[in-house]
Amino acid sequence: MHKSRREGMIYLDSAATSLQKPAEVGKAMFRAVRTMASPGRGGHAAAMRAAEMAFRCRSEIAELFNIDNPEQVVFTMNATHGLNIAIHDMVSPGDRVVVSGYEHNSVIRALHMCGANIDVAESPLFEPDAAVQIFREKLTGAKAAVVCHVSNVFGYILPIGQIAKLCEWEGVPLLIDASQSAGCIPIDFGALGAEYIAMPGHKGLLGPQGTGVLLCRNLPRPLLAGGTGSESKNIEMPEYLPDRLEAGTHNIPGIAGLFEGVRWVRKKTERSILAHEQALLNDFASRLQNIEGAEMFLSPERELQTGVLSFRLREMDCETLASVLAEKQVAVRAGYHCAPIAHKTAGTIEHGTVRVSFSPFNTRYEIITVLERMKISMKKA
Amino acid sequence: MLHYLIMCRSLTYAQRAVRALAHVGISAFVMKAPAYAVSGGCAYCVRIPENRMTNALGALKSAGLQPGRVFIQTNDGLYREAQPNA
Repeated sequence: MHKSRREGMIYLDSAATSLQKPAEVGKAMFRAVRTMASPGRGGHAAAMRAAEMAFRCRSEIAELFNIDNPEQVVFTMNATHGLNIAIHDMVSPGDRVVVSGYEHNSVIRALHMCGANIDVAESPLFEPDAAVQIFREKLTGAKAAVVCHVSNVFGYILPIGQIAKLCEWEGVPLLIDASQSAGCIPIDFGALGAEYIAMPGHKGLLGPQGTGVLLCRNLPRPLLAGGTGSESKNIEMPEYLPDRLEAGTHNIPGIAGLFEGVRWVRKKTERSILAHEQALLNDFASRLQNIEGAEMFLSPERELQTGVLSFRLREMDCETLASVLAEKQVAVRAGYHCAPIAHKTAGTIEHGTVRVSFSPFNTRYEIITVLERMKISMKKA
Repeated sequence: MLHYLIMCRSLTYAQRAVRALAHVGISAFVMKAPAYAVSGGCAYCVRIPENRMTNALGALKSAGLQPGRVFIQTNDGLYREAQPNA
């Protein structure tokens, strides 16, 4: 593991950004900065090394998501960038777009900017049958659907396979936000039949910030225009992927790091990563319930929740608790987590929650330590 | 040794072609296409030894990859468009 962890610091905010990465990630980035130029910008060795790295990363991601053609793997700056490309392609002003009750602002604000009529398919937390039912009722006649695979606030794993089938049945193109599932839940792009899947590189895929991926079934309208190193005499963007969506110089150090992150995930397997994170969540939850006034948003069926847990304390405001924990070298996230719709759905909109989110590098010892530090903080408060 | 150049629609497409050829034991590599071989501006191509061209075209077809225009190197080192037999 990369030695980025400060002495004594316990990092439980991987749903925002994974901080601990495999050591190879940083090494690959350093190597890329020193030896690689830009793909498609020349035939010299530095440019071709960059091209090779980009292709290897595309191919690795294609393997992870069961895609035959790596041209369907488009590099983006982050998940938000990918979501915006897809939403701007799918949605025109006035279109009715069905979303789940757990979407992030990266979806909601992008839809709002496009002038979409946002139709929220609200359903209770950890009730997948209810989610399927509300989508069944709302999808007819919709222009598109945008659904997160996993809630960033509650770790709730939505029934994405069933929702995707409903979309296919109704002929409604589906965009999946895999920000919280990529790297910890197996995703089969071909089997799901989604039009797009967007994800960041810096969370579960263990790459660096500034990386993201958009998986594309068809050829969308570009969001950005510019140089691609191909068809330079053509004033229009190329009519093929990935060039059509990759205007401007690539983040090759980021892509090199992402490549190593994805390789690590594939080697470890998503199932074992999820099992590790869920075990930590169970351990944390069983200890947290002994703290008086603690309220957790925990699924009764553990397979419906990733290693993300929201909670709140009766005696302490969530932002205060997060600040106190930060002083004790524990990194958690408090507030609304950029997903007010999710809080409205779950009934936590008034004050938000504290969120802990685990990574493959967290340990049981860290969980015990965090709870001890939390108890000490509460006694002092 | 003389060689062929197969024009590709994009750098990534050319890389896919090289991978498909490597899979059947044909050594090829991606290079920037000569300016006179492309009409739309910058492009990339795959360079293949002359004696492997027939097998290469078959391998590309099997992989579902459609080759673009093909050029062959002449004895003076330049390239002329060719119509190789698949």
